[in-house]
Parts: sequence; C-alpha cells; structure tokens
Amino acid sequence: MTGEHAHCESGHGCITCGDQALEMRVAEVDAVRGLAVCVDDAGHAAEVDVLLVEPALVGERLLVHARVAIARVGAEVAA
Amino acid sequence: MRFVDEFRDAELAGALAREILSVVEPGRHYKVMEVCGGHTHSIYKYGVDDLLPENVELVHGPGCPVCVIPMGRVDDGIALAHRDGVIFTCFGDMMRIPGSDGSLLDAKAQGADVRMVYSPLDALRVAQKNPDRDVIFFAIGFETTAPSTALTLKRAKAEGVENFFCMCNHVTIVPPLRALLDSPDLRLDGFVGPGHVSTVVGARPFEFIPADYGKPIVVAGFEPLDILQAIQMILRQLADGRCEVENQYRRVVPYEGNRRALEVMAEVFELRPHFEWRGLGFISQSALRLSDAYADFDAELRWEVPGVRVADPKACQCGEVLKGVIKPWECKVFGTACTPERPIGTCMVSPEGACAAYYNFGRFAREREVV
Repeated sequence: MTGEHAHCESGHGCITCGDQALEMRVAEVDAVRGLAVCVDDAGHAAEVDVLLVEPALVGERLLVHARVAIARVGAEVAA
Repeated sequence: MRFVDEFRDAELAGALAREILSVVEPGRHYKVMEVCGGHTHSIYKYGVDDLLPENVELVHGPGCPVCVIPMGRVDDGIALAHRDGVIFTCFGDMMRIPGSDGSLLDAKAQGADVRMVYSPLDALRVAQKNPDRDVIFFAIGFETTAPSTALTLKRAKAEGVENFFCMCNHVTIVPPLRALLDSPDLRLDGFVGPGHVSTVVGARPFEFIPADYGKPIVVAGFEPLDILQAIQMILRQLADGRCEVENQYRRVVPYEGNRRALEVMAEVFELRPHFEWRGLGFISQSALRLSDAYADFDAELRWEVPGVRVADPKACQCGEVLKGVIKPWECKVFGTACTPERPIGTCMVSPEGACAAYYNFGRFAREREVV
C-alpha cells in the first residue's frame, strides 16, 4: 500500500489525521531494521515501525498510528 | 470480535448510563469537554450522548489536528507544492483544507504534484524512489503523530536521503488546554483526556488541570464504553468533591507515557516560541519545529515560504466551535454553505472535526433542555 494509491476512508475516521490509532497483531518481525508486518482485525497487513515498543514479539497486539507502533495493547499497565 | 465487542456491549452501556444518572445532581448543568477529535467522532458514531442525562453536556475540544491549522499555514504548504520539481506529500484530510485561494487538492488539479500518504515513512519511500525530485512531507498532528515524523527523519538521516524535507506543523496538547481553561467565556466541569496522545506523553502532563484549575480529567479510550466510563468517572469525582487525573485507558496508556517516543521527539524537534491556532490565536510553546541537528531536512529553511497571516472566512465560526462556545449547528453556514463535500471551515473537513461529526451522523440541529 503506497502513498500514491492510498485513500482516506472518511466513514471510519482517518487514522492518521485524526490522532486515531489502530490495534494490530504482529505477524513477522525484522528486528535488524526495527520493522514488523502487522495485521489488523480486517486482515489487512502493513509494514510498521516497531522501534518505540521493542522488542516486538510475533502474536502480540500493538497500537499503531501512522505506521508506527506507539504502545502495546493488552494487560493493564502500571498506574 | 475480541478486544472490541466487550467495549460495545449494550447491557454494560445501560448499566453505565444508570450509574451516570445516579451520580448527577438534578438541577445542576455539567459541561464536560472531550479534548480529542477521535472521541467526538466516536460519540456521534455510536450515539454515546443519547445515553447521557440531559443536564450533562458534551463540549467538543480542539483535539482534531487538521481543524486547528490556520489558513496561512495551508497557503504556505500550497506555495511549496507549486515549486518546480517538488513532490508534496500529506495526509488525506490535509488535502481538502481550504487555504485562502483553494486547497492542496485544487493545487494538484492545477498541476502541482501533491500526493496523499498514510505515514511519514511512505513519504520517505516516495523520496527514495524519486531521487531527482525534492519531496516535502507536510507534518501535522499532536504527540501521537510526532514520533512517527521523528522516526522517519532519523531514518532519512541514517540512510543519507538528501531529497526529503519536512514542513513541520506538529502541535502539543497541554498549552491549548491551558489556554482554554484561561478563556473567560468557557466554563467546564471536567475533561475526557486524549487517549492516544497519552500513550506517548502519559497522563502525568495533565496533572496541572486538577492542581491549577480544580477540574477532573480522565484519560479515555475510543470505544463507546470507554467514553461512557470516563464520563461516569468524571461525574463521580465531582459528586465526591474530588479532582484528579484518572486513567480509564490503562490497557494502553502508561501513566508516564512512552519514554522512547519522548526521547526521539526531543532529539528531532524543539519547541517553537509561539504558534497560531485556529480560533485560539497564538499560543506560546505550543508547536514543534525541527531541531538544529535536523535543520537540513527543514522545508521552511530550504525554501522561503510566504508566512502570511490570513484571517479565517467571516462566515465561518470554527473558532467558537473549537472553543466549545457554540455547537456546530449554531454556526450560520453549517450544513448549508459549509458541508463535508464543500467545506468552508476546517471543522467540516476531517471526520474528527466536530462539524463533520455532527453533519455525518445527522445532528443538524438539536436543542437539549436542561433539567
């Protein structure tokens, strides 16, 4: 999915412009480059930068915004 | 669907609505601001406001990044897009924001090479595929998006990409909240705090709201039950006579935020002395620019931009909507001259804008009686 072919699904809100983020599951990890292939609940895969949540593990769920994972999702984190 | 269905459960929503009803004082009017445009979108998409007592009013804050960009910055972007040899990249909503003489989409129709991207990383890839062109990324967004821009600039530097530039319009969330709280025409009882900004900055930066202004804030997720629960937590604090920062979105938001993201941002960005916000005017230290270490990537240093300050269209009342002073349908041009297809104001462009949320979910006019 490249920029040239991207389109905005305005009915769902724009995940990049609206400061929304999407939960995705890690499918493959390229630890050397700090990238991972992540899949959303609809089955769409995307290359995601995981440098901010390293180490990213296959199977875990990440919160992804503008192709960058900004948080892990799941167990409650310390208050 | 796991992780989603449990936050959209109708029975739980009903239970929360009853709890909310039990904690509000009849005869008191509550004004709660949801800071984030994503919350505004969810509230009207799922009808969260229909579950609230009539004396609980939701006020929509300035948390939609495209809605707060002043027209002059759009004009500056369009001027850069028209330069020979430039590929101008931006997020989708940004392409439709009206400048003083058209939008980036209009500039594209006039021949400028404007391309939509989903992420700064996509823009960097465009630069790498087009080494003979200068590629500019129009960076916009709060602290949720800024780490993505920062990481991309670090990659560009590490990979020696010399034709990638950034026009930085990233903004920060705390200064406008302080400006709103200092605004004399706005009386708020509490805040639903921005969930995804808080994954980066944490909940701690909001401690000034109870400490300095005596108001509660609850950081919340974006599912309907997240928002309902956050409103219940705010009203419970008010009923108990408490005001503190609470974190409803603990499954994602650490109280201290994402330390690595904050470090990357600190390396790549520095605070601007001041920045203009639509409807709120100039706010000190409320936006980011590239640090000296990344000056080579700064489009505003590479090229001269007009930098002209442009007044908003007179008919448009986005400023008052952004401050929560009026409801979208109270604007003179809402739903008539200004629609999502032909927006006059920024709040009608992004789905997260309050006007677009009202329009798209059928809230053309609604007067709620205060009980």
